[in-house]
Amino acid sequence: MVNEGPTEKKHVKALVIGAGPAGLCGAIAIAESIGDGKQILVVDEGIVPGGQLPKQTHKFFGHEGFYASVRGFEIGEKLVSKATDLGVQFSMQTTVAGIYEDSIVTYDRNNNSVDEYTADYLLIATGASERFLVFRNNTLPGVYGAGAVQTLMNQYKVMPGESFLIVGAGNIGLIVAYQLLQAGANVKAIVEASSKIGGYMVHANKIMRLGVPIMLNHTIVSALGEERVQGAIVARVDEHFKPIPGTEKEFVVDTICLAVGLQPSVELVAQTGAEIKYISELGGYVPIRDENMKTTADNVYIAGDLSGIEEASTAMIEGYIAGYNIAQKITGQDLSEKISTMKDELIEFRKGPFASKVREGLKKMNILFPSGGYRERTQQSTGPNGKLRAVIECPQAIPCNPCETSCPTGAINVGKNINSIPYVDYDKCIGCGVCVMKCPGLAIFLLQEKEDYSIVGIPYEFLPIPENGTIVKLFDKDGRYVADGQIDKVSVNRKEKTHLVFLRVPKGMENIVRHFDLAINSEEYVCRCEEVSRQDVEKVIDSGITDYEEIRRILRIGMGPCGGKTCRNVVLQIIAEKTKIPISESKLGAFRPPVIPLPIDAIVKSRKGVDKDE
Amino acid sequence: MSDVNGTYDVCIIGGGITGTALAYSLCKLGETSVAVFEKSYLSSGSTGRCGGGIRQQWSTKNNVRLAMRSVKLFENFEEDVGMDIEYYQGGYLMLSYDEEEAEQFEKNVEIQREEGLDVEILTPKQVSERYPYINTQDLIVATFCQTDGHANPHKAVIGYAQAAKRMGADIYTHTEVLGVDVENGKVVGIQTTRGYFKCNVVVNASGPWSRQVAELAGVELPTESYRHQIFVTEPLENFFPMMAISFAGNFYMRQAHHGQFIMGQGDKDEKPGINYNVTFKFEKELAEKMVGIFPFLKNLRIMRHWSGMYNMSPDAQPIIGQSDKVKGYFYAVGYSGHGFMVAPAVSEALSELIVFGKTLHTDVSYLNVDRFSNEDVEKEKNVV
Repeated sequence: MVNEGPTEKKHVKALVIGAGPAGLCGAIAIAESIGDGKQILVVDEGIVPGGQLPKQTHKFFGHEGFYASVRGFEIGEKLVSKATDLGVQFSMQTTVAGIYEDSIVTYDRNNNSVDEYTADYLLIATGASERFLVFRNNTLPGVYGAGAVQTLMNQYKVMPGESFLIVGAGNIGLIVAYQLLQAGANVKAIVEASSKIGGYMVHANKIMRLGVPIMLNHTIVSALGEERVQGAIVARVDEHFKPIPGTEKEFVVDTICLAVGLQPSVELVAQTGAEIKYISELGGYVPIRDENMKTTADNVYIAGDLSGIEEASTAMIEGYIAGYNIAQKITGQDLSEKISTMKDELIEFRKGPFASKVREGLKKMNILFPSGGYRERTQQSTGPNGKLRAVIECPQAIPCNPCETSCPTGAINVGKNINSIPYVDYDKCIGCGVCVMKCPGLAIFLLQEKEDYSIVGIPYEFLPIPENGTIVKLFDKDGRYVADGQIDKVSVNRKEKTHLVFLRVPKGMENIVRHFDLAINSEEYVCRCEEVSRQDVEKVIDSGITDYEEIRRILRIGMGPCGGKTCRNVVLQIIAEKTKIPISESKLGAFRPPVIPLPIDAIVKSRKGVDKDE
Repeated sequence: MSDVNGTYDVCIIGGGITGTALAYSLCKLGETSVAVFEKSYLSSGSTGRCGGGIRQQWSTKNNVRLAMRSVKLFENFEEDVGMDIEYYQGGYLMLSYDEEEAEQFEKNVEIQREEGLDVEILTPKQVSERYPYINTQDLIVATFCQTDGHANPHKAVIGYAQAAKRMGADIYTHTEVLGVDVENGKVVGIQTTRGYFKCNVVVNASGPWSRQVAELAGVELPTESYRHQIFVTEPLENFFPMMAISFAGNFYMRQAHHGQFIMGQGDKDEKPGINYNVTFKFEKELAEKMVGIFPFLKNLRIMRHWSGMYNMSPDAQPIIGQSDKVKGYFYAVGYSGHGFMVAPAVSEALSELIVFGKTLHTDVSYLNVDRFSNEDVEKEKNVV
């Protein structure tokens, strides 16, 4: 009775939703275990697989087993070719429109067609979406999310603007700022509402030495402009993140780039019936899952940012864990050894201080990860005067060790715990500069004191490559001009594109100079689809209506094409602020399919064997 | 009872259109010792999920009267209740694709006209002249009533609830009724997740849960809930003023205030029980059918898809009245998919029954549960 009419559903053993690092590794793990990749379908919205990887032009942290020191887009290519070699099927430019009671529905944008699937196992690796920020005139053209800026700039080679204000000093904001500078844009400032830089210091140092100020305790209050962004007003914030009147500053920019964090994309996993819980440390609403990445729904696994906002290495490892577990069920073979190897990797990656939020968040699901066991002190000595040698300015314990593994003389030690801060053994260091070109944080420099001047070797990822002998201006860690200097020589690194530029700097400045030349020379909308302002939402809440679903139905919040992906959390936040009921206790509301608008003609087209004369 | 949290004359179970409209109607009659108990948020049950149509074209005299009274109340809603509920009298176009049904339509129109309702009978040619965007292939006849229309159900609930609150009623959301306390054949109170409340009257306005809520007081109601699904498209500029509906064709569709098209159909294979999942089968079947009749739809995209419950009675008409077993136990249930449109009139009648012991505006005695003890049940034919 339920399945009347011709059967139009395709069946796969495993359906992987999302071709980012988590989904790809999951698919690889399943395919290599069952020996038949054709049974696995990876569905992804993107034009090319890889998720966020194809837009990432920087080198990744971690260890070489998970492609540390390889640029993001190259990691994507490697994973995709591995999966393709194993026979894994890809369906690109295709969105899973909904996980319905009777089937999983995909919409292929390229062919404007709809397909129905059933799958024995689901690996959902839908990643995260960007958090949205509410400020005046935020609908003006020229306000972008960081992801959009990266897509335009790094994937489609289109610059969204010339001069930028970046909001948010987490890793994404810092990375985008650096990439914009590489592409020749002017980054006026990064504002960050909290009192400290959220991203890695090594990323922050990369842009600070290029002269970009990071304004802590500041936020954007308004975009300026009539037809498009012509400027931005920022202000200092108090301890409750409220702008302090009288502290406003104006920037002339044509583009505002928002990098205020990510939230797991739970829409599809929620439709499977898997339990969802608000765990702020993991980025908001996340699926409840066990240490094998299995959700509370039968045969539904997750991996990557969907399971908690983290980074690519752990996403890959989680993908493998989920994949091996699925493969184990499909084949009946024992893969526990592989699974526990991956779990040990995760433990290693999550021992450091930057993983403390993830550890706290997972504890709330009774998944425990140990911390500590790594070196936190930085090396004080910068080695013997006169010798060409490496100095490492890596002040935080982050899970990363390519400096150690790349050093040809074994002079650099991170040790067993990958989170430890590296130390240089100056007896062994020969000043070859391999580590300088490998370090994903561009945090290693070479020094040598000479008779009349000193040499500073710095990692350099800009164009054009300077000519020997050129007189340049020298800048310190914070991008302040300190002296004039000269290019001594350049080691061009054609393969990895991190070049090593040797500068002649005045004596005594070898620990100061870290960069040269490259002169870095209305309404607040909550729901942009339906044009609902913060004021509208607050008015409704003030009238005593505090349920998300009720507010949604009154104001049409989340009823536009985005389906609430941008505004749901903002509204929940406003409800929490106004009612003083923590967001974790408020009702999340329904996730109604389809998660993207689904063309009716595509559905009609998919009805095979039924022909109506029209 | 040790923990009495409050005392009311009337406790209403269910914060949908019936519960809130009844609270409002009672307050209007001066009975302000009223509380509404809703286990989730207001309109979270059937009301907030319905298509929002409001029509008077029914097949029995009594139902036409009830609906006409309701329309009167909807017409005055903004003034009386104080909320713009996007009420729009764009008419109902009823399309028949079945010979037998077409004959029935003409009989219905006779009944409707006798009650003073202005209804037109349209040939397929007239339909395509008037609505060139409708494909009239296979159409036999259509009827049209301009004073039918539609409104935003959620806003209507909020409007009623806020007006009732202003007059003194209490609304408890996220409060589930766990038991109805009956002593000596009479209602004396209710047990809720927020404690015990004394009362003289309990009203079952719990929509999909009507039978279970009746059982709390030991009352039997012959209702069953069935899932019905709806999807809504992206918006177009408003050009489609009426609700288009067909019983034989099994569909209804309207363009809502913001321009989006809302549509649904029934499924004979649906089994009774609460089920809020949605099926892609529904999207496929309805999309294909509707594109055939309304070809412009093929250029639109589906934005959302949800399901709600029809609380069905054996004759597809509401069950309204007071229990003869338990004194003080009233019910307004079993609307069979058209509760929103008749709720204002039903609630008015029910409030009069509670306060005066008899109705003043509309006779609803024909909707008492007693009717099912008769052998002949006259079934309402105009139901999707």
